Amino acid sequence: MSAKLLFDSATWVVWLAPFAGILAAGVTRRQDPRIEGDRVLRHDAAARVEHWTHGIATAVLLISGISLGVLFFPALLGAGVPIWTAMNVHFVAVVVFLFGTFYYGANTMLALKRLKEHLPTGDAVEYTKRHYGLLLGFKKFTMPPERKYFESEKMAFIMAAAATVTIIATGMLKVAAHSMGVPGGLMAIVTPAHDIATLVMVAFILPHIFFAAILPSSWPIFRSMFTGHVSLDYAKHEHAGWLAELEQADDQDQADGETPTSAPKRAA
Amino acid sequence: MTAKKATGTPGSYGSGERGTFSRREFITGLGGLGAGAILGGLFIKSIFLPDQVFAVPASGGYLLVDTKKCSGCTSCMLACSLTHHGESNHSLSRIQITQDSFGKFPDDITISQCRQCPYPACVAACPTGAMHADAKTGVRTVDVSKCIGCERCVNACPFTPSRALWNFEEKHAQKCDLCEGAKYWNEVGGPEGKRACEEVCSMHAISFTKVLPDQSATGYEIDLRAGTPWDSYGFAGAFKANGR
Repeated sequence: MSAKLLFDSATWVVWLAPFAGILAAGVTRRQDPRIEGDRVLRHDAAARVEHWTHGIATAVLLISGISLGVLFFPALLGAGVPIWTAMNVHFVAVVVFLFGTFYYGANTMLALKRLKEHLPTGDAVEYTKRHYGLLLGFKKFTMPPERKYFESEKMAFIMAAAATVTIIATGMLKVAAHSMGVPGGLMAIVTPAHDIATLVMVAFILPHIFFAAILPSSWPIFRSMFTGHVSLDYAKHEHAGWLAELEQADDQDQADGETPTSAPKRAA
Repeated sequence: MTAKKATGTPGSYGSGERGTFSRREFITGLGGLGAGAILGGLFIKSIFLPDQVFAVPASGGYLLVDTKKCSGCTSCMLACSLTHHGESNHSLSRIQITQDSFGKFPDDITISQCRQCPYPACVAACPTGAMHADAKTGVRTVDVSKCIGCERCVNACPFTPSRALWNFEEKHAQKCDLCEGAKYWNEVGGPEGKRACEEVCSMHAISFTKVLPDQSATGYEIDLRAGTPWDSYGFAGAFKANGR
């Protein structure tokens, strides 16, 4: 008995997904964060699509990929149907992952300020120590006015971005091997590199889930990943620097004669 | 299209300025062009290009066995494992000896060796070309760096037990390569060299030929007892003629 491997029979979908993500970004109209009465728009619809396609696909990829065996960890699945099923699940997640990641990448290309928001500053290490110390309860002090993303999140972003780029580059070569002759020597580098990047991604996503979804203090921001909004109080308390930027932008808009709360701004 | 300027400012979107395009137009165009090229290529391929023909060269050699002569010592299995993996482990051997505790001598032992099939189902099933016929010798073998661990080759092999095996330690498919890739052996393997299992078999129950054997159930099972004292034993079921 054998089965159809989607990586083999539908390889073209993997190549299509990145372009679909780029095209979707091209026709997407983004909304900038803004203050709306007693709440603040933090994640517009595009940001939520980026996050959940990338995030859910990453989780499925990690589960199915690790089940198939990573580096020296043995495969958790038996031969035959379990292996083929995991590979097909991996395929579907790859397509969603590529769409979400390239959608994010193209959106970022359209508004580079979104990338700058994610990049760490010179305060990154010190702020990160304080942030997690405060979250875990062994440090007591008032957080400095953080901007849209905590410095700790910016540090994690670099790690996740590096892992994502490595996983995509090596993964594409692994997929290419299904339709063309990729040299064995190259594959001998690609496969362990893919696996190492997988472990880096695990090291990113587990703390990310804990600090961004499980820890009660993160629930407002977790909720905003569904609704798009955080409360004004939360923004004042956790992201005073960001709120000050939004207020400044509002003032600027009003000085220019625009009405920001009723007319969404286009980011790019 | 002439790219004189590409800007990312909101004001540049849809500016309609002749001869220029905005960053958004570039991104949209790139996505549309890429998606169109892939879907178009797929359409053209499905309509105009013929299906690929699967063809592989014949193997440069074949292992022949006489299971009635086998004593079941499994030296061949240990030699196979040792020369390929540097350790004596029955589970890593590419040739397999099975013994039926309820069977009657001399039909109680089976040697399961790879047939190097003219139509290698394992090679046909491999999605990445890891299982392939060596370009020089035609021996069906595995490029482990290309193996993705789907084990389709293991399931595709028409024989039981499968001659394509799963290396549980290094996590890749493996099969008899006529010792072409026996890296722990200081002898030259392959069709033009030696085979470890053949070399160590104290009963001389394993032989080698470069002539494609009959593809029957007993096509690779031959009488290696002719001309030996076996002729006088008169066991029931003994070969009367060379089975090749």
